[in-house]
Amino acid sequence: MVMGDFAQGTQVAVIGGGPGGYVAAIRAAQLGLEVTLVEQEELGGLCLNWGCIPSKALIHAAGLKREIERADRMGIIAGELSVNLPKLMEWKQGIVGKLRNGVSSLLSQNKVEVVQGTAHLTGERSFTVESPKGVGRFEFEHAILATGSIAAEIPGMPHDGVLVMDSKDALELQALPKRLVVVGAGAIGLELGTVFAKLGTKVTLLETARTLLPMLDPQIGKVMERALKSLNMELVLGARVKGMEKRNGVAVLQYSALEGDKSVEADKVLVAVGRRPNTTGLGFEKAGVKLNNRGFVLVNDRMMTTTAGIYAVGDVVAGPMLAHKASYQGKVAAEVIAGEPASFEAVEVPGVIFADPEIAWVGLTEEQAKEQGYKVKTGVFPFKALGRTLTLGDEGLGFTKVVSDAEVGTVLGVHIVGPSASDLISEGALAVSSAANIEDLTLTIHPHPTLPESIEEAAEQAEHRAIHIFSPPSKSEKTT
Amino acid sequence: MRHVFRLPDVGEGITEAEVVEYLVQVGDRVKADQPVIRVETDKAVVELPAPVTGTVTETPHSPGDTVKVGDPLLVIETEEKAVKAPPEKKEKPKEAPKAPPPEKEPLKPPKVAAKEEEGPVEPAKKILATPHTRRLARELGVDITAVKGSGPRGRITDEDLRETAKKKEAPPPKGPTAAAVQAPATAGFDFEKYGPTKRVPLKGIRKRTAEVMVRSVSTIPHVTHFDEADVTELQKVRDREKTLADQRGVKLTILAFLTKAVADALKKYPMFNASLDEATGEIVYKQYYNVGFATDTEAGLMVPVVRDVDKKSILQIAAELNELSRKARDRTIELEDMRGGTFTITNVGALGGAWATPIIVHPEVAILCSLRAMEKAVVRNGEVVVRTIMPLTLSFDHRVLDGADAARFMSHVVALLEDPLRMLVDVA
Repeated sequence: MVMGDFAQGTQVAVIGGGPGGYVAAIRAAQLGLEVTLVEQEELGGLCLNWGCIPSKALIHAAGLKREIERADRMGIIAGELSVNLPKLMEWKQGIVGKLRNGVSSLLSQNKVEVVQGTAHLTGERSFTVESPKGVGRFEFEHAILATGSIAAEIPGMPHDGVLVMDSKDALELQALPKRLVVVGAGAIGLELGTVFAKLGTKVTLLETARTLLPMLDPQIGKVMERALKSLNMELVLGARVKGMEKRNGVAVLQYSALEGDKSVEADKVLVAVGRRPNTTGLGFEKAGVKLNNRGFVLVNDRMMTTTAGIYAVGDVVAGPMLAHKASYQGKVAAEVIAGEPASFEAVEVPGVIFADPEIAWVGLTEEQAKEQGYKVKTGVFPFKALGRTLTLGDEGLGFTKVVSDAEVGTVLGVHIVGPSASDLISEGALAVSSAANIEDLTLTIHPHPTLPESIEEAAEQAEHRAIHIFSPPSKSEKTT
Repeated sequence: MRHVFRLPDVGEGITEAEVVEYLVQVGDRVKADQPVIRVETDKAVVELPAPVTGTVTETPHSPGDTVKVGDPLLVIETEEKAVKAPPEKKEKPKEAPKAPPPEKEPLKPPKVAAKEEEGPVEPAKKILATPHTRRLARELGVDITAVKGSGPRGRITDEDLRETAKKKEAPPPKGPTAAAVQAPATAGFDFEKYGPTKRVPLKGIRKRTAEVMVRSVSTIPHVTHFDEADVTELQKVRDREKTLADQRGVKLTILAFLTKAVADALKKYPMFNASLDEATGEIVYKQYYNVGFATDTEAGLMVPVVRDVDKKSILQIAAELNELSRKARDRTIELEDMRGGTFTITNVGALGGAWATPIIVHPEVAILCSLRAMEKAVVRNGEVVVRTIMPLTLSFDHRVLDGADAARFMSHVVALLEDPLRMLVDVA
């Protein structure tokens, strides 16, 4: 790093080394631009270090434990099972380390200069980087802001990392709590709650909404409620946390529920009530980068902010806070800088929740499509009617639903709750973003026996011609 | 008649948006399709165009306000009288504009709404195109929402876009000139059948222009790049140096400064000073910088050339320009004075017009057109200020140059015009 009075110049400065920032940096370098990336913690950002990757490692391990426990019905009898949490965390950390090294070497192979420290914009074309080594000054032609998000807190329950945890703390626990209360039954709450429930913790989920996952297809929340019950997880809907007391190192949470005020004790509390964009105290205002009233950076389809030459991607801009959205936008920003005709216009962002069963969706729900004025035709296929599901030892809780435009057949949305939904959704994403016709799904061979057959059958069911479910058209439909 | 422009259903499940800013004020005249407001949804910031032409009478929101689909954004008074009065209830006079009556009327997607027709609700139909095709549309500069797909159920193919782009980029040579040169295109026309006419032979400069233009348009794939330069400071410099120029008997024009800026841009981006040798398949980079100036004379269009503009001062260039244009008008100009150009500037500023797409002087590869500099309200540092803005357009030969090249060349010219001191500091 260059210290002192001389500013180091770069063509493209990327601030933040998460899935938005590092992808933008590599793409920009591929396009022949000179790139400097600033990261204040670890390359890979929240996703790789304290989010997607470590949580999926724990989810898999916890799922494996549960599979072994239930394998006796297949004639596989294991001895007594125990969980060595420090060892599990060490294994998870090994994965994170491998991937982080991978990112680091990709950046260096692409000749991206990585600067460790905290960046502050100081003008429309300059920023400083503070690190224990001192303060460096930089000038840029273009900058990509990818500073991510931070966990939101609840008033009266300040985060202490011990009793009141955020997702980052929960992923680094060294001992299993007996009782865990998770505040917020969104993606993070469901995923981590499930992990600890499977590992042996008594988990209570408190959710303010009166229905589970209200933004999704309503049947998905219903399936999920049943699934949580079978994992002995307690779900309290309509629960508003009013306060917390500490008694002998134990948390007592007061909350108002539909049936009156209640309280619950917990050895640990995980607050997972959402995240807010990390856009304050970074000098954005000095560069003229404007935010909306919720603190997100204002951008257009080409990821340009209100200051020419400065772009923003990922969690700092409005839209779902998902790594794959950040990466896509990172590529768009890099390509726009290089003069390519890239845009985020009309890009579909699939959503995934790695609960058990998994949930994944893309495009419009049936309700959203109707609100937009479409005549909607849907097809639903339950996983329990699929051979492959049962051979996997899965009971087949869940379904695949295809939402289409009844007039021309365009696929508008695909919604899945069931085994490997996260893997299945990419076909849906391709169909929706390509504006595929529902016949494109029915006329494509899906190999047997596999889980993707559920998409083919759901598309067929929309026309009442699914083979593996009996669903004749109603009388009114027959006449048409 | 009063037209209430409401937040349209912009699709993607969006139910509300935040007002970022109005692009117009009460009292402004707006044209249909002119962007009037910027709103932010949770997907993006979008500019919404006015659905009708008229005068803005109400801007009920402040930046930061949240508006729901169907809420009024803007009220426009149109000239037309309400022939078929829409079933819009008369709003109570003097009602606080922020609290519109919660009318539930059918909303139309922006495209349909823009047509100002009343009809049944139609959903914003999804455009049938793959991500690849959408990207191609952006690459070709084609508005995919306006393309009619030739595929099944209206699916837009790559070919549809290429066809649209072709029609857009190279309009068929228009008018009698080109047609006359290309011979028998008008052969069967009986012009006299519908009324008396007068026939004048196509000759001289007119004929030469016709030939050159047809050759240019039929060999060079033209693309035109548009930009604007803030010449407020430049005009001050010009006004200040006028005294000196007057003493030397020179009329100092903005065009002379523009020429100097172009000279520097040509040095920086030499491919704009090149020609394509079609016989050998080579690009010829010329190492001399001679700029031609399209000059309107009674006899027609002439293009006198100022040589070695890179080695001359702005005042020298101005002096030569004065002299050459006088000669062109007097018709005392010699043929040699109109040869050897490497780049052309056409200044239609004085004649009016907002924009123009010039045709390249074959075998050059680009032509810059400057238009009338006018005072405009523009935003600087968040404030609306009056600045003098000069529109510039640059047509280039897409065989040799790309859009990105044009953008860079133009940006360089604009930067020099906007900061004239830089010509002193940074121009050799």
